[in-house]
Amino acid sequence: MPGDPAREYAAKEHALSFRDVTKTYVRSHLGRTSRFRGIEHLDLDLRPGEIFGLLGLNGSGKTTTIKLALGLLAPTSGSVSIFGHPAGSRSALALMGYLPELPYFYPYLTPREILTFYGRLSGMPHKELEAKTSRSLEKTGIERHTDRRMSDFSKGMLQRVGMAQALLHEPRLLLLDEPVSGLDPLAVAEFRALFSRLNQEGTSLLLSSHSISEVERLCHRAGILVEGRLVKIFEQKDWSKEPGLLETLFVDMIRQNGAE
Amino acid sequence: MPAYFLGHELSTAFALARHTFQEHLRNRSFSVAVLFSGVLLYMSVLMGVLAVDQEVRVLLDFGLSFIELMAFAMAAFGAASGVLREMETKTIYLILSRPVPRAAFLSGRCLGLIGSTGAAVLAMVLVHLSLLWLKGWPGQWSYAAALYGIGLKLIIAVVVGILFSLLSTSTLSALTMTTIVWTLGHFIPEIEFLLPRGAGGPAAVFLQAGAYLLPNLQLLNFRDRLDAPPLAMPGGELFWIAAGYTLFYSTACFGLAYALFRKREF
Repeated sequence: MPGDPAREYAAKEHALSFRDVTKTYVRSHLGRTSRFRGIEHLDLDLRPGEIFGLLGLNGSGKTTTIKLALGLLAPTSGSVSIFGHPAGSRSALALMGYLPELPYFYPYLTPREILTFYGRLSGMPHKELEAKTSRSLEKTGIERHTDRRMSDFSKGMLQRVGMAQALLHEPRLLLLDEPVSGLDPLAVAEFRALFSRLNQEGTSLLLSSHSISEVERLCHRAGILVEGRLVKIFEQKDWSKEPGLLETLFVDMIRQNGAE
Repeated sequence: MPAYFLGHELSTAFALARHTFQEHLRNRSFSVAVLFSGVLLYMSVLMGVLAVDQEVRVLLDFGLSFIELMAFAMAAFGAASGVLREMETKTIYLILSRPVPRAAFLSGRCLGLIGSTGAAVLAMVLVHLSLLWLKGWPGQWSYAAALYGIGLKLIIAVVVGILFSLLSTSTLSALTMTTIVWTLGHFIPEIEFLLPRGAGGPAAVFLQAGAYLLPNLQLLNFRDRLDAPPLAMPGGELFWIAAGYTLFYSTACFGLAYALFRKREF
């Protein structure tokens, strides 16, 4: 269990910062335009060296938040920055690693080939790439399967490869969308240990999850998203008094804010 | 600093080109198409037999037309499906969540596809040449000129295919539009011939727009000149014009594709 390293960091820059961010999806079909709320007036600062958990029901805006940070989506209003760099910029992306909820890979490639490809895209020099590929494969426990094609892999194994590619370039900020969903208990424990280790090495983590127990065990703070609004941020001290308290707090917040 | 960014842009484009090349070469349907083409090229011997004393000519014409058609099919399908598939399977998330400029993504896709289709053309050409050699063909430079034209058309097919894949939501519609443009592109001289003779009104506007917007593929059609002795204009200007035209047209299409892709959300 981590202490409260977030407070120990004296860095002025936020690892990730949302300033009054609103995202509205606009869809046009046969001349009819419809609008869907993604995120509404989100103000959130992720401290360097912190593990922040995003909790919410399906469709509450967790993935939208992560995509906004990555620049895969552009905010309708407001701004997003990563260590002071605008979201989506090359300098911001170079500092981030991303694990999507369901990592999709090219089925005809092996994990080593996948990592080499992503490493090249990150601009890693050949020697460094070789060393870091081996290290990432080892860290995520797939070093024995490096020559198997991705099409032969189970969901859990794909998730491990997803984690390996996210760690490859040693990012300062990791965005993890449902990182433990579909994993077996052993893999969950290994991932949890890996996240703690990465955090101790100074990596900031934003973790979106349905698994309240994971957030409870790992995170320094947790934010509750209800229908696109960040309704509350809890500190670790708020839930550390008794096991399972975060779940109670979460359910209360959802009820209070009238989620459908 | 600009040199660094340009270097990064180029290296990521080449990484993506390499990946696209590898992707196609490992694709089973791609290998089957190349194999099928080889077999069909050899089967054209049967057609040659029917042509009696024009056997080599028939083999030459059929072979080059077939190679061009197969190259177009591979390029158009690869271009129409590639970026759309990346979006549908969400593999694009892990690419664009890295410092990959969107122009580098598109140019890498284009280069890789041109490379892989070019490799398929090379394989088919080797089969074709071996067949012609068996039939005692002495060889002629205009064959190389015909291949040059096929190569230039291939570049246009790839860029147009990628542009349509960004304009449409399905591979089928992108492929259909690319094929229509490709077909009409071979009729530009006819369109230009009809323009001053046709009636005015919407038809004339439509034809005029077609003449401006469609690629003039007949300009690149050196295959039709196989037996015309003065193939090249003095000093080989025709080749330069063809190369310049391809560069201009594909750059314009690439620019449009980039404008569409630059602000796209995922």
